[in-house]
Amino acid sequence: MLATRRFKSLPFAPLIRRNSTAAEPPPAGGHSPTIATSQLLRTTKERALRTPGLVWNDDEPSNAIVSVGRECRKMNVYQSVRDALSIALTKNDNAAVFGEDIAFGGVFRCTMGLAEEFGRERVFNTPLTEQGIAGFAIGMALMGHTPIAEIQFADYIYPAFDQLVNEAAKIRYRSGGQFNVGGLTIRTPTMSVGHGGLYHSQSPEGFFMGASGLKIVIPRSPIQTKGLLLSAIRDPNPVIFMEPKILYRSAIEQVPIDDFELPLGRAETLVAGADLTLLTWGTPVYHCETALHMLADPPPALAPHVPESLRKAKVELIDLRTILPWDAEAIAESVSRTGRLVIVHEAGMTAGVGAEIAAEVQKRCFLRLAAPVKRVTGWDTPVALQFEKFYIPDGLRILDSIVETLSY
Amino acid sequence: MFRPLASTHRLPLARQVHLGHLPHTRSPLVPTLSFFNSVTGSDEKIPTFRVLDGVGKPVDGAQLPEIDEAFARKLYENMQLLPTLDTVLYNVQRQGKTSFHMTSYGEEATIIGSAAALELDDEVLGQYREMGVLLWRGFGVDSVFAQCFGNQDDTSGKGRQMPVHFGSPAHHFQTISSPLATQIPQAAGVGYALRRSPDRRSRSIAACYFGEGAASEGDFHAGLLLASTIPSPTLFIARNNGFAISTPSTEQYYGDGIASRGPGYGIDTVRVDGNDVLAVLSAVREARRRTLEQGRAVLVEAMTYRVGHHSTSDDSFAYRQRSEVEDRKRIDNPIARFRLFLEAQGWWNAADEEELKTRLKADVMKAFKHAESLAKPELGELFTDVYAGEEPWNITEQRKELTGLLKKYGETWEPWRTELARFKNKGQDLTKA
Repeated sequence: MLATRRFKSLPFAPLIRRNSTAAEPPPAGGHSPTIATSQLLRTTKERALRTPGLVWNDDEPSNAIVSVGRECRKMNVYQSVRDALSIALTKNDNAAVFGEDIAFGGVFRCTMGLAEEFGRERVFNTPLTEQGIAGFAIGMALMGHTPIAEIQFADYIYPAFDQLVNEAAKIRYRSGGQFNVGGLTIRTPTMSVGHGGLYHSQSPEGFFMGASGLKIVIPRSPIQTKGLLLSAIRDPNPVIFMEPKILYRSAIEQVPIDDFELPLGRAETLVAGADLTLLTWGTPVYHCETALHMLADPPPALAPHVPESLRKAKVELIDLRTILPWDAEAIAESVSRTGRLVIVHEAGMTAGVGAEIAAEVQKRCFLRLAAPVKRVTGWDTPVALQFEKFYIPDGLRILDSIVETLSY
Repeated sequence: MFRPLASTHRLPLARQVHLGHLPHTRSPLVPTLSFFNSVTGSDEKIPTFRVLDGVGKPVDGAQLPEIDEAFARKLYENMQLLPTLDTVLYNVQRQGKTSFHMTSYGEEATIIGSAAALELDDEVLGQYREMGVLLWRGFGVDSVFAQCFGNQDDTSGKGRQMPVHFGSPAHHFQTISSPLATQIPQAAGVGYALRRSPDRRSRSIAACYFGEGAASEGDFHAGLLLASTIPSPTLFIARNNGFAISTPSTEQYYGDGIASRGPGYGIDTVRVDGNDVLAVLSAVREARRRTLEQGRAVLVEAMTYRVGHHSTSDDSFAYRQRSEVEDRKRIDNPIARFRLFLEAQGWWNAADEEELKTRLKADVMKAFKHAESLAKPELGELFTDVYAGEEPWNITEQRKELTGLLKKYGETWEPWRTELARFKNKGQDLTKA
């Protein structure tokens, strides 16, 4: 399993790295997009098939870049998770999907019908024990199998912290490279939905940031979810795959039905720009898009706070996608051009992922920086239910930080 | 006579020939290889204690708990209050007025019966489906609604937590946490602290509730191990309602329920019919007595059935037959069962029933209307209670940052203005401070 990781994408790696999605410029009309109307979502087959970095993983040897004639289907994120899992289970007899409440489809419907299709030996409910699920999955992976385990909410991953940080992350190193759990993938729903309170809103990716040996991936859309999840499953390292749960139903794209992968460890430029780098991942990608619209064409209430001179500013929006190991090269390259960096994440500020990025960027880009690196994050408090609208960074807070950083 | 070399042991262990004992333990040495897989010493499952049959009639040989009419009526009224509240809170969530609810349908006897067996100042650590314990202790429907609405009267957590995450020091009820089973080892610590408190040690225990699903978490095993070994006067009450969200108990464990694990930790254990409120009352009273007397953990497994969905986020008919649920409601309704008993005692009649239902409904609707009319807590509460004592600089700065943003945009940016209007003092506790 681990040896079958395909490297046919390698010849195109430079393409992947430089390719910018460069979405159409914001409509002049100035409406603020929601997730449902986001320009970043590839809602036509043509745009879906032009997804940067997409590598087909065909059964028959083929030209992996030929996209002509490929079929797409309209999917939301939970459907694309299911699609990826179905492909993984079909192509790899050693793949298994399990977790709490998986068999009836999972609490977010990501595993609907898989138990019926692939049988209860490969798709099964576990008792309610996150440390057990992670340990069990590690055991399977040690035997070269491909466990795809679900932790029902990222807020509940902490009982598995020991298994993931002390075991999964370190097994290759401690065994001198003799053993590994490269087949391991942990899927878990993450981030806020607006009414989850302390324990259904967390973004714990930062807690795993120091666990070298693990990879952390957070997709923003159905196409990204499918391609990155299939890469995660086939990556020769254990991967924690965090799915922003508000996007399960709300983010909809045309998704290619064939097997394809998107590269781990590579950020994606969603909007090209030269004046400021706006870096984020997961749900806030859409809040950032809103902020860009408000910057270019502020509604009357905000116009007094957005100087005319800044409205034409070209902001480069980047989706980090892989949180660990993160694409420092791409971010530093962008910030070297723009001189300004705003990082947006839902987790609290202190020791959030933004802290690590800010430190590395100031090292790499110190003389190029025209403003301090700004972080727009949740506050350093738990996520309080009735206060969530003022806890989670929204488009306005992002806009304010962009204006502040541009005017520094 | 031929005997297989290895057999699964069917005889009580004590009847084997033995050759003395292992040093340091009392394990007898025996010449026969035999495996065992039962805590009853037979093929029989652990029995379930019951005193009332399905129609509320005392079973043969039943030892009814000592209760008088007033106490019995109080039990019944609280059992009826639970579904009255649940129905309104469920519908209120459906109307989008609150974000969440979890009902206790079907578990009224387990929750109220056990609550009634505890002393009012026994320290309770619940999972999330134990609103009835607070009701029994006089928490009040206003406090219930205030928490579920997260309004300025929410004494449980200042609007910070999801609905049904109650807590009240005055009612000796620790605040509910969503992560499962975390309360179980904590309960061992609470019990130990009670034993070390001169004014509590002879009269108070810790009582810990959890479901059969939560009992799969590592914290369950840690908690029972600690409370038995250290030891700590902690009463563990497992609500075995058959489902952990969609997962039936048949997929949750392979052994004989939760009760079979008690003897593994060396603790007194009993299984009780959780839909028989008098059996629950008796079992928990006796379990409590033993907990206090031994200063050590005791385990009660109450067998019940979750008639409702797991929560408002769940549709249980995706994984169980509607008819199964309807059958359970009809055949084994804990409230109806107890009512029949009360009627047979001459302690209850149709007029009482009518009066109670009308009164409870009126109380609940009044509390709902009141809660609905109240604003959220002050916005500044977002930043309080993270730390006690000196506030760290980052919290102070972040409060300042939000305050600055509110001053800048709070009166003109419609989404923020609308949201601010929902808070007590509309955010002015920050902007005008």
